[in-house]
Amino acid sequence: MNLRQKLLLLLSLMVAVVVAAVAWTVLVRIRQVFEQRDQEETALFVSQFQREFQHRSAEVAASVGRIAASERARSIAFQLAQSGDASPYLTEAQTLAQDAQLDFLEIVGPDGNIVSSAQWPARFGYFEPIAGADQPTFLKTEDLPDASSALGIFAMRTVRRSDATGALAVRILAGKRLDQSFLADLPTAPGMQLALYRDADQVPAATQQSHLGPDMLPFEPKRLIGAAGEVSHADRYESLIRSAIRSGQQASSILYLTVRREDSVNATAIPLKNDTGVVLAVLIVAISRSGMVEAQQHIRAIAYGVAAGGVFLAILASLWIAARVSRPIERLAQAAEQVAAGNWETRVPERGHDEIGTLARSFNHMTGELVAQRDRLVQTERVAAWRELARRLAHELKNPLFPLQLTVENLVRARELPPEEFDEVFRESTQTLGMEIANLKTIIGRFSDFSRMPKPQLERIDANEALRRVAQLYFRPAARGEQEPSENLSPAFKIKCMLEIASDPLFIHVDPELLHRALSNLVLNAMDAMPQGGTLTLSAQPKGKAVELRVADTGEGLTPEECERLFTPYYTTKQHGTGLGLAIVQSVVADHQGGIAVESRVGGGATFVITLPRADGTES
Amino acid sequence: MLRQVAISCLLAALALPAAARTRPHYGGTLRVEIEGDPWQRTGGLARRMVLDGLTTIGPDGTVLPALAVRWTSENNDHRWQFWLRSGVHFQNDTALSSAAVEASLTASCGASCPWSAMRAAGSSVVLTADSPMPNLPALLAGDKYLIGFDADPHVGIVGTGPFAATGELNNPGVTRLVANETCWQGRPFLDSVEISSRKSIHDQWLDLSVGRADLVEVPAEQMRQAHDQRLAVVASPLVSLLALTVSDSGALSSPSLRAAIALAVDRGALSNVIFQKQGEIAASLLPAELTGYAFLFSTQRDLNKAHELRGGVAPPALTLAAEGGAAMQLAAQRIALNLRDAGFSVQVVSAGAPQHIDLTLRRLTLESSQPQCALESILRAASLPVPVTEQTPAGLYKVERAIVDTHLLIPLLYLPRAYAVGGRVRDLRLGPDGAPQLAGVALEDAP
Repeated sequence: MNLRQKLLLLLSLMVAVVVAAVAWTVLVRIRQVFEQRDQEETALFVSQFQREFQHRSAEVAASVGRIAASERARSIAFQLAQSGDASPYLTEAQTLAQDAQLDFLEIVGPDGNIVSSAQWPARFGYFEPIAGADQPTFLKTEDLPDASSALGIFAMRTVRRSDATGALAVRILAGKRLDQSFLADLPTAPGMQLALYRDADQVPAATQQSHLGPDMLPFEPKRLIGAAGEVSHADRYESLIRSAIRSGQQASSILYLTVRREDSVNATAIPLKNDTGVVLAVLIVAISRSGMVEAQQHIRAIAYGVAAGGVFLAILASLWIAARVSRPIERLAQAAEQVAAGNWETRVPERGHDEIGTLARSFNHMTGELVAQRDRLVQTERVAAWRELARRLAHELKNPLFPLQLTVENLVRARELPPEEFDEVFRESTQTLGMEIANLKTIIGRFSDFSRMPKPQLERIDANEALRRVAQLYFRPAARGEQEPSENLSPAFKIKCMLEIASDPLFIHVDPELLHRALSNLVLNAMDAMPQGGTLTLSAQPKGKAVELRVADTGEGLTPEECERLFTPYYTTKQHGTGLGLAIVQSVVADHQGGIAVESRVGGGATFVITLPRADGTES
Repeated sequence: MLRQVAISCLLAALALPAAARTRPHYGGTLRVEIEGDPWQRTGGLARRMVLDGLTTIGPDGTVLPALAVRWTSENNDHRWQFWLRSGVHFQNDTALSSAAVEASLTASCGASCPWSAMRAAGSSVVLTADSPMPNLPALLAGDKYLIGFDADPHVGIVGTGPFAATGELNNPGVTRLVANETCWQGRPFLDSVEISSRKSIHDQWLDLSVGRADLVEVPAEQMRQAHDQRLAVVASPLVSLLALTVSDSGALSSPSLRAAIALAVDRGALSNVIFQKQGEIAASLLPAELTGYAFLFSTQRDLNKAHELRGGVAPPALTLAAEGGAAMQLAAQRIALNLRDAGFSVQVVSAGAPQHIDLTLRRLTLESSQPQCALESILRAASLPVPVTEQTPAGLYKVERAIVDTHLLIPLLYLPRAYAVGGRVRDLRLGPDGAPQLAGVALEDAP
């Protein structure tokens, strides 16, 4: 991953995180505000509903009061007091209830017995336990003829006789049924749903002792009746209803009716109690949250869209910023790579006065300095090389020149000698001069060879054969031994040569003559390193895609400093060396795309390792 | 003397219009409104006017000849022979024959006839049975055994009665009957009778009050209200028995439970409140007017005894149905309430409910003023076996006591039948079963 990609990723992540954090904060706050508004609205609706409920209760009380104050009721009271015969009024309650649009109405005589009942006409003559003093509205479960019961808002008023005594005669106990039609008749706000939960309405109230107490019967969803009939997802209201029953207080909660958030309601459960505090039913006021949730979802969708757009724009901006920031650095990196590759003339554009511009200027300054220093170094090295060459040449030429000078001086002095002696001196001198001149030629030839290394003529040869050829040249018996190490000693130095080669051929592409020359140089050096004798080991072995040729001696070894300078031209540790041998070896190996190294320690001998690529390119 | 003659003449002159008012006029259409079906087999008003029986019940309760002029019994009332009146024709001019009578009687009762065999013998029909039929002549006067047949789908039922069905369908819900000019009893005063059926009592009374009806029904429970509204009410004696028929299968197969039910019902509340004191509390099947021993049957409610008889056993929920209108339904609810007081769980259901009905509140008509005949008609209507009754009061009491003690039929109230008439109707009389006898009715304003 390059710098631009990293910058792009980093900037994009930062922007995305920031946008997400802002969006989350905004959404959370919006949700809080919405829910707060929703709860306030729900509380307002519930309050309005409770006022409406109380208003309906007051209407019931007023209706009952009007009935009790009516002439008909007073006449009934009078005639009952006069005759004591209640039979003529059997259907009177139904008539009065119908006129007053009440669902329940009972005329209760002075003895507390029912004179007439609208809801259960056959109950005449039965005792009505509630008939006491006047009561404002109250809730009551009323038994019905079909063995069921109904919940109603009741009120009771006493009818005063119209005679002069004004004595209490009869009471009117009447009310309205709290049922589906009552709920449907109540005004509701849009999205508001009313429902009523009653437990065990098929059980007569006389035997329904517990009503909706804490030990209420198992919750039955079908008993939750709304204005339009059974309430869908009624089972979701169970916990709220139980909570209201258990506490006897109003309870509110958000109920999720389905997995969809918009199918949720803000529900309030209002326990409806009778005058003794027993919960007879639970009224549910549920206000749909769909509008709020849809608004939230709409806002969320907009927020997500804006966030996505912001992130997209941020990515584009990041691309631009990353490009603007990274392009000079990339150019610097590319320039550095070119400098590393040797192109020291590389320059980068210098723009601006910021750090990148300073860096570019510094880079250009640095490369300029490098070029200048390289030029100066080359000049210096060139001078040094010439000096070294001059020194070596002077040194090499000085040795033969001194005998030449002596010979010439002897020859001059010999002119004074007799001719015979002169001839002998002359003969010896010319011989010496010839030898020294030949020596000078040799020195000049070596320098000439070093300066004119031939171009390799590559051939595919076996590295084992190359080693065997060198060994055969200098240690004939060892070459014959093939696989077995030869222990034949050199006659001159008593050096033991060991040839360690593999049975399989190790093919390499080399110039056989140049390689033979290089190996010969190494062998001669090794022999020079062991004046008292020792062991010379020649070995060839595969190593990866290359072949290693080793020439090891058991001489005095080399110091680390010597190892470092060993391949420098004209450097030698020998008294009469030119210092060009190993330089030639290195030049040959380099011309074959190989490498040469020395492994040595003082007193431990030295091993020269030539690494050349295998001809078949295979890897062992 | 002259003065006396003059006064006499004056009185005679004053008396003439009065005499003219008492003389009925022919003609006119009587408009009758009823709640039920005029052709229903029992108590159908039109059926009574179109058809005649072999016998009829006189005002004093005696059995009188009708289409049969005489009858004889043989073999200890096992065989009866009825000689038909000659010269009688059906309203379609078909002559009355023994074969037509045999066909009509066979179609009337089907398999539940009191007799086991019947055959036409010349101008008579012979009915035989395995058991004695001492009350057969009285029974044959009942609605169930009226003689007639369905002649024409357009005309309807054809009989020998004072009115004939016209089959007119111009006005839905109105049955029009016209006077049978060739009736063997003589032509009725009225030219026609229009019977509007399926009318509520409220509508009937309203029509009567505005002159759109001449004869309307007055249920027993509304007789007091009718009097309060100053309607001219014609009421019969106690001709129907409000009774609870009890199923002897299922939960009430136990006689003690049935006895507990009989003791739990508060007859006083039914009579005094629901039926507005127009009936008479009954514990016997026949009223005291017929037998004289009705007081021997206790009408008292005894909840303690009822609980005791129930023995603490809570029987499964009972079903109670009522045949009839609102008052019967209300009475059923009251009975259910009474039975709950005695520890029974009772559910009031409609009479046509598919489930097994344990208790049925019914109104049974005493079709005869002869006690034995009335008892037999009640038992047959209640689908109870009819025992052989002795003609002595003691024997009748014994039989009735045995029946009542089974508590399969629990008598509750005797009730009258009543009608309210308009101002132009005169000479309306009710038969022994409380049905109006319109053949003798005339209209004041008839031409």
